[in-house]
Amino acid sequence: MNTATKFITTISATLFSIFSFTTPVSASDLEFEILGVNSSNGKLYIQLFKGEKNYQQGKPVSASAISAKEGSVTVLFNNIEEGEYVLRFFHDENDDGEMQKNLSGMPVEGYGFSNNAKPNFGPASYNDMKFLVSATDTKVRNQTTVIY
Amino acid sequence: MHRRQLIKSMISLSAGSVLLNSPFNVLAKNSNSDPVVNYKALFNKSLASNPKLIGFANIDHNFKPQVLSLEGSIPRDLKGTFYRNGPGKTERGEFRYQHLFEGDGMLQSFSIADGKIIHQGKFIETPKFQKEQQANKFLYSGPDTQIANPLPVSSADMVNTANTNIIFVGDDLWALWEAGSPTCVDPETLKYEEQVNLGKKTQYQNSLKGLPFSAHPKIEPNGDIWNFGLNQSGHIVLYHLSDKGTVKNVGIINAQYKGAMLHDFLMTESHLLLILPSLKKEQNISSTQQGFFNRIVYDENQPMRVLVFSKTDLALKKQYELPAGFAFHYGNAWEERNGTIRFDASLYPNVDVLHSMSRTMQGQVNNPHQESKTALFALNPNGTATQTILNTISEFPKVCDHIVGLRNKFIYHLSSSRNSLWSDTLCSLNVDSGKLDSFDFGKDFLVEEHVSVCPQRKEGTGYLIGTALHVPSKRSCLNIFEAKNIAQGPIARAWLSHHLPLGFHGNFKLS
Repeated sequence: MNTATKFITTISATLFSIFSFTTPVSASDLEFEILGVNSSNGKLYIQLFKGEKNYQQGKPVSASAISAKEGSVTVLFNNIEEGEYVLRFFHDENDDGEMQKNLSGMPVEGYGFSNNAKPNFGPASYNDMKFLVSATDTKVRNQTTVIY
Repeated sequence: MHRRQLIKSMISLSAGSVLLNSPFNVLAKNSNSDPVVNYKALFNKSLASNPKLIGFANIDHNFKPQVLSLEGSIPRDLKGTFYRNGPGKTERGEFRYQHLFEGDGMLQSFSIADGKIIHQGKFIETPKFQKEQQANKFLYSGPDTQIANPLPVSSADMVNTANTNIIFVGDDLWALWEAGSPTCVDPETLKYEEQVNLGKKTQYQNSLKGLPFSAHPKIEPNGDIWNFGLNQSGHIVLYHLSDKGTVKNVGIINAQYKGAMLHDFLMTESHLLLILPSLKKEQNISSTQQGFFNRIVYDENQPMRVLVFSKTDLALKKQYELPAGFAFHYGNAWEERNGTIRFDASLYPNVDVLHSMSRTMQGQVNNPHQESKTALFALNPNGTATQTILNTISEFPKVCDHIVGLRNKFIYHLSSSRNSLWSDTLCSLNVDSGKLDSFDFGKDFLVEEHVSVCPQRKEGTGYLIGTALHVPSKRSCLNIFEAKNIAQGPIARAWLSHHLPLGFHGNFKLS
């Protein structure tokens, strides 16, 4: 299953799970601004993870795919319940649904994380990218730049 | 290897996990604006009373073109340009790099034409250099040098100093490093053009982008280029490129090499040799030993392994074990008809030399380390191997370009006639007879790699050309020797008005 299909499956599963809730909970909106997009080619795929375990296991709670726009793009996630989250994304410039890597496993397409967390001689750490959504937040904003 | 096979055979590694491995994660973030130990002050204080350290001093500016003042005469068939590469910028602000390998690359070109030699020197304006030049300070920590508030490094090419070697690929000049891409530079102006994405416009697309590409590719007589790159994961990538730099084939092997550093390799007519020195990374980290180079240690219980690959399919064919040893450089390798492979190395009995370079960079002048000697090896078809160590100190071994991968009669190399910070003697070893033809520059010179230039393409003829730093006058000179008679000394010597930073490797392009 390529990345695009995985994203679409995740979005469908998320929508279904929202309609399954029986207990009303207050939820926030999450606005993620991605700066430094270097071209309008292809799409950006963004994943939202709740908690470290889900991040390490690659199990997003929500996902989005938007057209790339040179400069910056903003993604909105609605009805996010309170908790600790991270965002991860990549710029699929060649529009093949996959994040290209070189033979060492290093990304050769743009990518990034919430809080502008960056890898540093090793993967970016979960603790650098995590942020909180609290019940009282109406809107949570997070900003980052693409690593090319 | 087909691309699909290649990707299947690669062990998939999570993004970012292999970049220069974990050692840097243990470094505490230094948010002080001053260095903990002021290595810049230490070195420059020592330089004031030890003038021979001048070759390791920082360089601030490019060197404008100058006509050199000539002694002797330039042979008529020696026309072309000699390029050299090495670390030039080693200090910014209050920081000084602690290891010789960390400095930003600076190219020196010597153009020889119409009886004149013109020199120019220029920093390679890599992405790292450009950013740091603009900020007027180091922005990234080096492998051994931690700076204040370093920017995070997400790929090796972000900190690619392009400082180790310089080769011609088609009409382009490639400055080579080791841990990342080749850097393309204009041959006339020496201006930075781009970091080379090797697989671009081929079936490999971006899968080779940013991979390690060593500073010692081997060039076939037909111009084809062979090279390797060591990944910190222990995997080794093998490259076969056309003479124009187009990728013909790529192989990857999980060599499980944990020595962290692999500088050079060898080629025969049919095979590539990866020789893995007896190195490992120190696990117990004291607070003073947190760098990359300074954690590399020698393991006398670890044999030197030789991996033999077929050039046709880049597949591993055979492995050999040699007694423990370390080498930066190898001279040449060739194959006998019965399949025996012979090669030479400038072999050290330990890796003290690597750490001694740190001490020199910090201004210490009395750091004797055990020198390397010429070692001759035979890898036999039955799986056994033999090693003979000659009693000649040797480094920077070279052979004639047209003989690379074929049986060579001569090894040209540097040597030390006295305890010096760098070499002081040039040698030509006749491998068949054992005769050594050598010239001692004397105690006032620090002698750099000399390369063979062979217009007639006949071994034993042609010239050796290289630079040397004359410490008392603080000037460097270019020396031209007749390969057949080193002992008579240089037949021509051209002086600069100033010194050049001691560099690593270079090549001559006949015009």
